[in-house]
Amino acid sequence: MAPSLFSSLLRPSTLPNDTASFICQACRRNASSFRRTRKALRVKPDPSFAPSKTEPTDHIIFNPPSSAPNVYHTPSKFLPASDPRRKLHTLAPSSTTTPPSTPSTSSPNEASASASRLRSIRPQYEKKYHLGREQIDEIRRLREEDPRQWTRVRLAEKFECSQFFVSLCCSAPAVKKEQDRQLEAIKRRWGRRKTEAREERKARKALWGRDA
Amino acid sequence: MTRDEIHDGICRRGVITLNISGEGKEDASRVEEKRRDDSYQPFTGNLNAPSHREALRSAKLSALHARLQLPIKLPLQTLARCLVDPSVDPRPGYNNEPLSILGQELLGYYTAEWLMTKYPRLPMPILFAAQYAYVGSSALSAMRAEWGVEAVAAPGPEVDPGLLQLKRQIPGNAMAEGEQMRIKHMPQARRVGSGRRNEEHNYRRGMSSRIVYDDQFGDLQTTLPVSTSDDTSPYPSAPISRPDETTPFFSQDTSSEHRPPPSDWYLPAQPTYEDPTATTLEAASATFVRALAGALYLHAGTPAAKHFHTEHVLSRHLPLHTLFNFAHPTRDLSRLCAREGFEPPVARLISETGRLSRTPVFVVGVFSGNDKLGEGAGASLNEGRVRAAAAALRAWYLYSPPAEEIMRPSEVEGKAGEGKKWKSQIVDIGEVIT
Repeated sequence: MAPSLFSSLLRPSTLPNDTASFICQACRRNASSFRRTRKALRVKPDPSFAPSKTEPTDHIIFNPPSSAPNVYHTPSKFLPASDPRRKLHTLAPSSTTTPPSTPSTSSPNEASASASRLRSIRPQYEKKYHLGREQIDEIRRLREEDPRQWTRVRLAEKFECSQFFVSLCCSAPAVKKEQDRQLEAIKRRWGRRKTEAREERKARKALWGRDA
Repeated sequence: MTRDEIHDGICRRGVITLNISGEGKEDASRVEEKRRDDSYQPFTGNLNAPSHREALRSAKLSALHARLQLPIKLPLQTLARCLVDPSVDPRPGYNNEPLSILGQELLGYYTAEWLMTKYPRLPMPILFAAQYAYVGSSALSAMRAEWGVEAVAAPGPEVDPGLLQLKRQIPGNAMAEGEQMRIKHMPQARRVGSGRRNEEHNYRRGMSSRIVYDDQFGDLQTTLPVSTSDDTSPYPSAPISRPDETTPFFSQDTSSEHRPPPSDWYLPAQPTYEDPTATTLEAASATFVRALAGALYLHAGTPAAKHFHTEHVLSRHLPLHTLFNFAHPTRDLSRLCAREGFEPPVARLISETGRLSRTPVFVVGVFSGNDKLGEGAGASLNEGRVRAAAAALRAWYLYSPPAEEIMRPSEVEGKAGEGKKWKSQIVDIGEVIT
């Protein structure tokens, strides 16, 4: 400890304390730790690449990288009722033995069993269709009376519907115009980098609907 | 003059019956040919294209015929005629335009039926785009280049008939002669169109209008002559009906054994050909390939034309899934599920890595009930969700029935008694409209 302290005192620019805290202690190799580090970094290869014990001769290794499913492989739900492949897909889950040559990615029965176990990325909700004519008129009246108090969010909370539904019922063009003006004022203050970054993000988002 | 000769004369001036027969059996009917030629000399300008008599002596033509493995029924003279663009020889009996009109319809028909039976759920815009990608002018132009057919630098009677004969358009960037302007800035003559309402610049061309009015690619028809209004002239040399006029042409025929043709047939005055408009290499190449398909159909029949289409058009690989561009994939998918009676789609996280890093990857699947519809990976949960929905929609639209179930209408066309029976094909109710 003392030598390092001494050197940092002499030359404060070499290793300031905050930088030193980031450097991984285990990554510093020297003669005593060389063998141990190398051993730790030695990663065992995938078993399918090891010489096979069961196959004495040359053979083909089938170990495809994980990738998105092919869109030309129509999901069984999308097959029309007359399609013969539909029957094959429903028969397949009953046969439990998978051929050993395919180190299975996910067979249909596994997928179906796990579908409900996977976490939904958005909160799920049931559509209620509970608002009638009077409630909708009430929404309109409130929004008309005081659009600043009764915003879309507050109306949606009060009537337990989605904000989209509120926007279908009513609008407040005057408030919208003012909000847009404020937003424009904010955008005008942005510098070149921020403006370009936003534009690029918009362009990237447009690619989501394409296969790119 | 007998009725046959009259009829022949009409055909010589007709749009498509043309002189295939005249050129094909040239040796057999040389005398008659000469006599006909005496009576038919409408083209008074300089002959720009090589004579069809040169075709037999051209090594390039024979090589092309062999390279494309064209049937022996297709004579070299017709192959030479397929290479003559209307920009070089405006006479419809000698250039490739009539053949290319036929060939365009044939190629369009075979491609459309293939696309519709193989991918019955393709949306209309994708169908148009795929049609253009298979038999559009740029694809046919590439095909011409792959076949090794070269174009002439400038047309003339002395060039090899194995070259594509066209008069090239001057590029728009070139300076106009005697002017201080570029060609593209010169006031242009009105574009020849079909004269329909949808060509006006402020007409809102929706998908329905493209289906009804436009050509097989959903583009404006630009090559049709104006024929909708009555005062415009018809296609040059087309027979037109004028019941009032007695024609001196038919008055010679007084023999009673020949029934005179309908009296309302009238041969128009010999058309005078203006200086033909120049064309681009791409347009001329497409016309050539289409004309070749049409000539194959006329000389060797449907099987040869279909074989040509399979070998040269359908052999080209088109990644259809890249043609899709969804603006609101999640909305479309939920509409689709509601329409088809599936459970509403739910996006679920299948796997993720590096959530707190700069480059996270989320693999999101869209599920309807317990069935996975699509899967997508993205740098955010939202991106993964949208991409998964787009993949699900692509999977829906790119459905293809099993290969043994697919049957094209042209396979059973005119073969009712030959044991081949039509199998009904899937007709989809259409794309999702939101």
